[in-house]
Amino acid sequence: MAEESESGLQLPPSTAAEGEGPTEVSPETATPEPPSSAAVSPGTEEPAGDTKKKIDVLLKAVGDTPIMKTKKWAVERTRTIQGLIDFIKKFLKLVASEQLFIYVNQSFAPSPDQEVGTLYECFGSDGKLVLHYCKSQAWG
Amino acid sequence: MEEDEFFGEKTFQHFCAEFIKHSQEIGDGWEWRTSKDCSEGYMCKIHFQIKPGMLMSPPGTSAHVQTCLPMEEALELPLDDFEKTETTTGSKVIKYEYHVLYSCSYQVPVLYFRASFLDGRPLALKDIWEGTHECYKTRLLQEPWDTITQQEHPILGQPFFVLHPCKTNEFMTPVLKNSRKINRSVNYITSWLSVVGPVVGLNLPLSYARTASQDEGNVN
Repeated sequence: MAEESESGLQLPPSTAAEGEGPTEVSPETATPEPPSSAAVSPGTEEPAGDTKKKIDVLLKAVGDTPIMKTKKWAVERTRTIQGLIDFIKKFLKLVASEQLFIYVNQSFAPSPDQEVGTLYECFGSDGKLVLHYCKSQAWG
Repeated sequence: MEEDEFFGEKTFQHFCAEFIKHSQEIGDGWEWRTSKDCSEGYMCKIHFQIKPGMLMSPPGTSAHVQTCLPMEEALELPLDDFEKTETTTGSKVIKYEYHVLYSCSYQVPVLYFRASFLDGRPLALKDIWEGTHECYKTRLLQEPWDTITQQEHPILGQPFFVLHPCKTNEFMTPVLKNSRKINRSVNYITSWLSVVGPVVGLNLPLSYARTASQDEGNVN
């Protein structure tokens, strides 16, 4: 499984990543407003554990998708993939015509109503769930 | 270097074979079918769903039928249960067919699908859209013909709806490139189908995710 030290994903804010000049969105300038109360929050102090309600999710950008300044989030177990997609789209300020996909195992898109808790149980390791996200203009 | 994004019929068949192998392991119902002269082949899956909003059967009549299943879950019950349900309660059962073919012109897989009632009446596209997940509905309803068209099935010669393949590479390429960077191979079919399937009501069970990608040189 890819670790955080792999190329392309951890460049400092002043450098353009992937050569395409994606926008770095930082929480200070674009405070995330989750659609529902505290379902997703920055995962700095929340411990993730199997018995806790929230899951530590590490979000990694693919392609020329903008990199989120905050990559680690504590997400409720029952949050769906679709909910996470909506959240990231808002956070990254994607326009309506842009699609966002989330992948587990870097290659498989779970169904939109799949729950984060289930995904963690199947694909979590080291107390966290790594999800890759990728934006696309396209369909089909 | 660009080979992974565009692949030939052989690679397509290889990925389909791997996909079907897993499908058989979990009883997901995908099959391989060939044209009459066996020169071409495609993957096929049929499943049945209850039209949303309808009770499947009054409690007590059928022990293995649950009431008010969300659409996406009503997938795995055997055929004869549905036939009994349909006749006793008048619930609408819909037969969905999904075919995965290879497009020579686009050099990518293409998803063909159609739906009909058990008596053979085909469903209109707008009824199929009602089965589409909320998140895709808005976009599909705005520009339906950009993404879904009706075409003749290249092998069966019957009308099917088709998820247009012209933009497939746009969303597949970043995923493939990303995996190549870290020496992982991706089953193109598994990955692609996991993305496009939900648009037309086809959800892949999560266990496919393990087979979607693996370290090069590793045999699991």
